[in-house]
Amino acid sequence: MKIRKVNWTQFMSFPAILLYSIFFVYPLLKGIGMSLTDWDGMGTANFVGLSNFERFFQDKRAIGDIRTTLIFAAGSAVFLNLVGLGYALLMERPFHGRSAARVIIYLPAIISPLIMGYIWYFLLQPGRGFLYHAAEQLGTTFFLGKWMNDYPTTMTVLVFVNVWQYAGMTMIIYLAGLKNISTDILEAAIVDGAGSWQRFTRVTLPLLMPAIRINVVTNIIGSLSVFDVIMSLTEGGPGYATESLSIYIMRMCYGSRTGYSTAVAMILFFIILIPVLISLYLTKEKSDA
Amino acid sequence: MKRLFALLVVMALALTAVSAFAETKVNFFTGKIETIDLLNGIIDEFNAQNPGIVVEQEYQNDASNIIKVKFASDEVPDVMTTYEQEFVDQGKYMDISDVNEWWDRLIPSMRDSCTDLKTGKQYRICTNMTMAGFFYNKEIFAELGLTPATTWDEFVKNLEVIKEKKPDVVPWFIFGKEAWHLGHLIEFIPHGYLKQTLGALGCKTAMLNNESDKLNLGAADGCMAVFAQNMLDLQAKGLINEDVLTATGDNCTEAFVTGKAAMFSNGMWALSGILEANPEMADKLGFAPYPAYMPDSQPVVLCAEDSGYSISATTENVDAAKAFLTFLFSAENQKKYSESLGSPSAFKDVEAAWAPEGFAKEVSNVLNSAVNIGFTNEKPAGFSGDDAGRMVQDLLAGTYDAKGFAEAYEKAWNEGF
Repeated sequence: MKIRKVNWTQFMSFPAILLYSIFFVYPLLKGIGMSLTDWDGMGTANFVGLSNFERFFQDKRAIGDIRTTLIFAAGSAVFLNLVGLGYALLMERPFHGRSAARVIIYLPAIISPLIMGYIWYFLLQPGRGFLYHAAEQLGTTFFLGKWMNDYPTTMTVLVFVNVWQYAGMTMIIYLAGLKNISTDILEAAIVDGAGSWQRFTRVTLPLLMPAIRINVVTNIIGSLSVFDVIMSLTEGGPGYATESLSIYIMRMCYGSRTGYSTAVAMILFFIILIPVLISLYLTKEKSDA
Repeated sequence: MKRLFALLVVMALALTAVSAFAETKVNFFTGKIETIDLLNGIIDEFNAQNPGIVVEQEYQNDASNIIKVKFASDEVPDVMTTYEQEFVDQGKYMDISDVNEWWDRLIPSMRDSCTDLKTGKQYRICTNMTMAGFFYNKEIFAELGLTPATTWDEFVKNLEVIKEKKPDVVPWFIFGKEAWHLGHLIEFIPHGYLKQTLGALGCKTAMLNNESDKLNLGAADGCMAVFAQNMLDLQAKGLINEDVLTATGDNCTEAFVTGKAAMFSNGMWALSGILEANPEMADKLGFAPYPAYMPDSQPVVLCAEDSGYSISATTENVDAAKAFLTFLFSAENQKKYSESLGSPSAFKDVEAAWAPEGFAKEVSNVLNSAVNIGFTNEKPAGFSGDDAGRMVQDLLAGTYDAKGFAEAYEKAWNEGF
């Protein structure tokens, strides 16, 4: 009998595979099974086939939640990357107090998003917040008077708070990417007569592609599964107007619809997977080029 | 010497293990933040007087949801304050109907409130009563010559007078960011109407069996549509706060105690917060029922069971759990509890000064003059009070008209089943 030799690498990867199987593969398979039942969280689970998935697409509230989640994710992913990159380009240049500035930009990222949301609510609360009163002193309250009564404004505020909190984290990854770009290449571009815009678009951006890739993917995943920022600022309201899919899943689960909420979690998994795969594909091509 | 030392260590470990095994642990699960410290004190006393039993209190902010996780994962506490009809139906609670030493001391109507409609048995016991209605500023009312309304027309008139004579005062403050508060308006006003017209038992049965012809939730002239129209009218006339959708409970308390709001709807649980924020409010606090808003209806006030305790059906520590509850229910402890909570005791032998005297008298008058209603425990499991509150948020945000609201409410109610 031939005994297959297990090499050292395979042996060392065993604990990781075991943990991955216990905490990811098993729950995933269990979740797929649960999504096909009418389990209420405690009683007997009856097999209901794909009816949970059918029900989801017939539920107007759920469709509204998809819209909110996608708008939030699109806004957050785009602005997080733009602002993060902008910060990184600024913070890369030497100036007095650069370290302090980097810390200040990064600081919000280490505070709990729930607490951050509540702080922002106290600042922005329509008619009562600090910023509302500050604006009032200037003679106009801008959008701060009734921002929760208007869907586009509410979404803008939610995206703004999310970007404000996590742009520092995006900046750190871009800074690391910028550090990896050899000054020789940039100097060669200068010798070749490239202007600053050309250097940025033709040299810096292509070489930043690995950092862009990480940021785009993590921001899409984070933004599509958003929960805490919305929960603390609007609680998904008024009504269900700004409810995200994650909040919907939580409410369905606690509303004794565990099987259904698991089905929605599966749908969210694919909603996240599709843009992530697309962005991986697009950025891979660029970084390979 | 080494051997002797080793022997001593082994003996000490063995003794620790034996005492650990001999100790009965009673897990007490609660969602009532306002009684944590008081109960910890009572628990410490009980533990000191009962060697061999250790009661541990676990507080969770989102207790009604966390308990579902505990049931699902078989980590069920021995004693809990959370109670839901679906858990009763699933046999999660122990039948405590035969613990006469508790029931004999309880006000009979409170025992009725604790009775499961389906089985006629008791799976929980409530130590207190709570009331909900309108808290109003007596000083403002006296200054403007107003008296608490008994009909909706009178109510609107009162609000209009306040708005006209005191433009800086919000006539009725609603803290609508908190969905439960709006859910309570549904619970006390339209559900209150159903309870008074169908009778307490009739309403419970109709809700439990979802008898839509009796509930009539979606009708254009039904209790939901009229309630919705009334709320929209108040909003249009500026008789409620402009920031109704974003105001919080803290904002409401602040506005009320500083005289910037004339009235608000809430339960007795708000009392301690008001008096803490401004002790001078003790003499200015008034209490009124929810006015009659449908033809042939009467004013209603919530008079419901509060601070309920259940024992798990699967606990192995039945005697220890009962011993703890018996200690907790002693007249001495209940007096402390009642005064700390600001809620009258449901035990006949407990006399507690639970509120400022004048206010307590006013509450008593309201209870005698208005129809007393209880909480709805028979709501569909998939349609919570918060869900109902979020629908009122939608109504006030302009998503529905009155008829559309009633139809949507009925649909959500039916789907919740």
